[in-house]
Amino acid sequence: MLDHKILELISIDRREKRPYDIQIKDRIKALILDQTFYYQDLLPEAKDLALLLLIDKEWVNSAYRLLMKESFIKKTERGFEVTYLELTNYFFDRNTAIYDAIKALGLMPSIECIDQKVITLSEHEAQALGFKESRKFLHINRLYKGNNRPLIILENYLPMDIFTDIDQVFVGTEPLNAFILEHYGLYAKDSHRVTKAVNLPSHIAKYLNEQEGAPSISSTNHVYDQHQRLIDYGLSHSTSSYYFQSMIKL
Amino acid sequence: MDYIFIDKTIKTSIYKQIASCISQAIESGRLTYNDRLPTEKEICDVFDVSQTAVKMAYQQLINQEQIKRVKGRGTFVTNRHVYHQEFSNLYAFEKNPNLYQVTDLLFDCVDDAYIIQRMLKLERHESFYVIQRVVKQNNLPVVYQSIYLPEHMYPQFKKKYQKGIGVLTLISDVYQKEIVQIQNTYSPIKASSSEAQLLNILPNEAIYLIRSLFIGANQNIIGYVVNYFPGEFTEFEVTVHARP
Repeated sequence: MLDHKILELISIDRREKRPYDIQIKDRIKALILDQTFYYQDLLPEAKDLALLLLIDKEWVNSAYRLLMKESFIKKTERGFEVTYLELTNYFFDRNTAIYDAIKALGLMPSIECIDQKVITLSEHEAQALGFKESRKFLHINRLYKGNNRPLIILENYLPMDIFTDIDQVFVGTEPLNAFILEHYGLYAKDSHRVTKAVNLPSHIAKYLNEQEGAPSISSTNHVYDQHQRLIDYGLSHSTSSYYFQSMIKL
Repeated sequence: MDYIFIDKTIKTSIYKQIASCISQAIESGRLTYNDRLPTEKEICDVFDVSQTAVKMAYQQLINQEQIKRVKGRGTFVTNRHVYHQEFSNLYAFEKNPNLYQVTDLLFDCVDDAYIIQRMLKLERHESFYVIQRVVKQNNLPVVYQSIYLPEHMYPQFKKKYQKGIGVLTLISDVYQKEIVQIQNTYSPIKASSSEAQLLNILPNEAIYLIRSLFIGANQNIIGYVVNYFPGEFTEFEVTVHARP
């Protein structure tokens, strides 16, 4: 499928002033941006593309290096793989669980629990998260994956006066929203999200298979139930190849 | 470092005195964003205090996110205005010219940039206008912007274009084109040295790359804007509602 596309789409212009590697890089980048090449697609072997374009293999290698530098592709055991990924439109337009958002991308979602423990936060610490007073929380730190690739790491603070004995029943790998609806009859009605672009600290980067300092979208979420109570504080970090869209309608 | 005053005859611990002097200097504007603080050794030498005290003072200020340490470069003041907007109000800086100042850097008409032509759905060698600019608040950059507009849609552009005019105003008021929606794609990238220079941050710091496609009536693309916001000083918020 991809080989077929490439035959038609990656070409170079020998009259143009710009070097071949820049031309190839720009062509592939545009094809990734408009989603002709999609997440986890494989680019052709450098020698095959070079043969097709009748140029030296080093031009293609150089183009691939430039694309890697810009985080559009990654070299893996499968070859040069597209890492660029866009979340579907509604992630920041509608209250969607990360688990469902990953599914909506056509990826197989899974959750790995890194840590879960009961903690008590002081009044000061609890207030920093938006809760009124000191209390006990179940703190969970989990990795969300698509097709077994880490995409997002998310910490949640669940107040145990609302979720009584949650530490006894919560396994750690189940989607959170469905769990609290089933066990507590509460549903995550509204979510207030604030996002930032940050450099990943090393202790988070290692779980996402990223280098320390890699760029990431970080988001804090305050989740409110049907009674307008704050029932969850969440802090997430994405891999650097994770993108999302938001639409402004005028 | 004359903003630090230590009185060794009083009970207040040395580290608290150092931290509060620096805090006050930041609050009063004596120290501003990206100013470098003295090294621990310099403070020790001048005030004859222990390095531990200076370390503790700096650590407290780092925890409060007032300063930060950059490997191999030193310790810097970090406080700076944060551009905080609703997702739906991304272009708020265009609506308040008193608060935000626009400086144009580049004006050009180009016909050989494949990626932009593809985004604007232009044929190869069809021309488009390029405007690059920096938007500042209190002399600190809020966003670095590249605006791309297809030449054939904007007749007499050189005559009608005014330096610093907002892209929304330009499209909808000057050219009377309806903008039906703006599709924004948000991604995190590391600042190159030129982006860092323009945004007054350090190279490799995270920045928001936000690409906006302006969609007109008939669903055609009437403009493409690439925005770079300094990650640490930009926040976007939204409240989303679950469908029952």
